[in-house]
Amino acid sequence: MTDQIPALAFLAPFGTAICLPLVGHWRNGLCRPVAMAAVAVMAALSVAGLWGVYASGEIRYSLGGWEAPIGIEWVADKIAAIMIATICFVAGVSLVYGGVIEDRAMRGRAIPYYTMILLLIAGLAGAVYAADLFNIFVFLEVVALAGYALVGARGGRALMSAFRYLVMGALATTFYLLGLVYFYAATGALNIADLGGRVPGLLGSKAVLGGLIFIFIGLAIKMALVPLHAWLPDAYADAPDAVSPLLAGLVTKIALLVWLRIQYWAVAAESGDPAAHVFAVVSGLGIAASVGGAFLAMSQRELKRIFAYAGVSHVGLVLIGAGQANQTGLAGGLFYLANDAVMQCGLFVLAGVVAFRYQARSLDDVGRARIRNPWVLGAFVVVSLGMVGLPPTGGFFGKWYILLGALEAGNYLAVAAIVLTTLLTLAYLLRILERLFRNGGAARGSGSRSMPFALRLSLAAPPVAVIGLGICGDPIIKALLDSTSGLGL
Amino acid sequence: MNELIETALQRPNIVAFVVLLLVGLYITLTRHNLIKKLIGLYLVQTSVILFLVTVGAKSGATVPVLLDTASAVEQDAYVNPLPHVLTLTAIVVQVATLGVSLGLVSAIYRKYGSLDEDHILERTR
Repeated sequence: MTDQIPALAFLAPFGTAICLPLVGHWRNGLCRPVAMAAVAVMAALSVAGLWGVYASGEIRYSLGGWEAPIGIEWVADKIAAIMIATICFVAGVSLVYGGVIEDRAMRGRAIPYYTMILLLIAGLAGAVYAADLFNIFVFLEVVALAGYALVGARGGRALMSAFRYLVMGALATTFYLLGLVYFYAATGALNIADLGGRVPGLLGSKAVLGGLIFIFIGLAIKMALVPLHAWLPDAYADAPDAVSPLLAGLVTKIALLVWLRIQYWAVAAESGDPAAHVFAVVSGLGIAASVGGAFLAMSQRELKRIFAYAGVSHVGLVLIGAGQANQTGLAGGLFYLANDAVMQCGLFVLAGVVAFRYQARSLDDVGRARIRNPWVLGAFVVVSLGMVGLPPTGGFFGKWYILLGALEAGNYLAVAAIVLTTLLTLAYLLRILERLFRNGGAARGSGSRSMPFALRLSLAAPPVAVIGLGICGDPIIKALLDSTSGLGL
Repeated sequence: MNELIETALQRPNIVAFVVLLLVGLYITLTRHNLIKKLIGLYLVQTSVILFLVTVGAKSGATVPVLLDTASAVEQDAYVNPLPHVLTLTAIVVQVATLGVSLGLVSAIYRKYGSLDEDHILERTR
């Protein structure tokens, strides 16, 4: 039973997405419960998968019974299991909260809306499990297509943002495909493990190096790395409030995870000089992204845009960790990736709730709104602690290991960038905090009593998860160190 | 330099791929008309397909179906089917992208009555 989990965890949202139009045509109100049930099933499977992977090692699932180099293989190792659990968590929170926030534009369009959300989740799960470059390409495209539709769902200005996202996203997947063709032409392999055996000796070859560069450019657009991030703030700020936690929490992070898989598992680190140059470039881009993203976040006035740029900056932090070519940095980066997904989800839920209950979208609105709701304030404080990286939260442990990795590699520029990013993160979050806690006047809006239970739940879940990840940080980091130990770092 | 040109001329497919890719990128990045941008995008995608087909081609070979089982399998006689399967899938993916993008453009046109990017952005302010 355990070895079927990767397929089942993918089929739960995917099969439901295909059946949803039929269900919705019969009873329109059933769309949301059915979608939530699918995510609940997937979450249960992900927990079972996590347990199975911890108990009996990684699960290798050969689709159609064809073994690895010939057939397509899905691998659920500890990293994939943790990421799938994160996806389920973010998807669950977004669905619970989206039901209350639901934009007016969304009414009467429940069928396409929930179908797209489920397809997005299924695509993300597929991209995490797939151990085959072309399969990953297909899943990235599934995620992207659902993403374009969801970003544009509100109409008006969002259509233009969705169009720009589409042009950038389509160029990104085309570059990824081109890089993949280079890889295939040079090695005759698409399976990541299979490539891992063939590429190291080949990194001197221009075809493989060119392929790696094209794949990196493609995925860099998808993960919104700083010079290529221009599509992201518009897309996330104009997306419906109900789906921006899902998009911001997961889409860029999974592209980053795919890059780490290709960089470390296919193009292994041991191949000497060319690989060292690749890592130096990745680390440098990470430094530029983390500091640049944080500065851009400082200059924004709209809540969702600040959070979007915060995500851009934290993608840079993960890349710094991954670019140090040692296990500590990579494990820290992977752990921070999961944390960042949860924190981004929490921040966008907050932005959505504040916009929904207090009609506050910009910093000035927040200052005027006099929010006195303990759930909103508490959630914001805890998630901010995580973003800055203070001890009880998971953000601290991730950043700590990234920092240790940078010190281990003797890369002091990276260390300085991490510290500077932390300070800048504190600065732009303090601008919001200062306005949230500004004194004077009676409370407007309503107290905690009239806050619907679903909203309270979705406000409380991300902070609890951030602290939970911090408390369980040690075993998770150990697991990540363990699953990266065979890479020859 | 002469050598470079000579090698390039021996591979007209690759030259066509590079030209199409660059022309497509140029159109996508410089035109302000949304439909023209999409045409550029489509050129980029098609050029990659051309490259994929070029990589998979083998002269004098046929479809990978064994004609008889008596003699040994000649690897020069059969084409590797995988690149062609990848091509088909990639084309399907591109058609899906094109469909979504045309849907978006028609929604934009109905909303703003224009296809010019600058004009639309002015109106969204």
